[in-house]
Amino acid sequence: MAFEYLPIMAQNSAPKPPRVLVQPAKFAWCAVTKPLTQSRVALLTSAALRLETQPPFVPREDLSYRRVPSDPSIGPIVIDHHSGIGAVPKEDPEIVFPRTALADLVSCGMIESVSPWHFSFMGGVRKPQQVEKELAPALGDELAQAQVDLALLVPY
Amino acid sequence: MIEAREIPTLIIGTAYDIMSKVVPPRAAFVDHPVGRTFGPPHDRQRNVAVLAKALAELPQFTQPGMIRDLQCHWASDGSRSWEEELRAEMRRKH
Repeated sequence: MAFEYLPIMAQNSAPKPPRVLVQPAKFAWCAVTKPLTQSRVALLTSAALRLETQPPFVPREDLSYRRVPSDPSIGPIVIDHHSGIGAVPKEDPEIVFPRTALADLVSCGMIESVSPWHFSFMGGVRKPQQVEKELAPALGDELAQAQVDLALLVPY
Repeated sequence: MIEAREIPTLIIGTAYDIMSKVVPPRAAFVDHPVGRTFGPPHDRQRNVAVLAKALAELPQFTQPGMIRDLQCHWASDGSRSWEEELRAEMRRKH
């Protein structure tokens, strides 16, 4: 049976009420029609990670995002997320942000290309309406501009 | 919102209960501790294996809201002893 995160998150929230998980106001779904071998892929992460040279995420309720170069040689990567599980991913951000693995899949021909940028934001923000009305459309614009065919979201 | 721009998305996540409540367009479940979606630190082969497995699953998503179990387990012997350590980590204050 899969590990249950929600009871622990509810305990950790105390004395604040447990986080409310929301679905988008408008559900959207489009079929995957392009083969991976012809697709440009981007990573999205809620780990609030960035390059050292980029401004830090303000803890907890930051609605900004960072463009992170998809070239795995550009770094180092810093993780700003406030979560208690941060020590291990900080040791190797690739375990939540697999830039190198994605580049390897391009090299072996499974994927056509990667977006020049991947995108990072703060997860667990308690402002679902602002996430839906501000952050998500901004990320959609970025992905469309980069001509991304498939976006992989890795929750943190 | 991203799917409304005709860009398909795939969540690759470790929290099955959260994904079940949020109902993303399509999601792949990795039975690893949170924060280690693509494996333990410095194991590039494992990063590639999990990512490739998730991508290979794409044709199986035939309708919205599906969560596909990649059958990626943290311990090779199926042990779930990592769960207690994870509970302790998640309770740690900042």
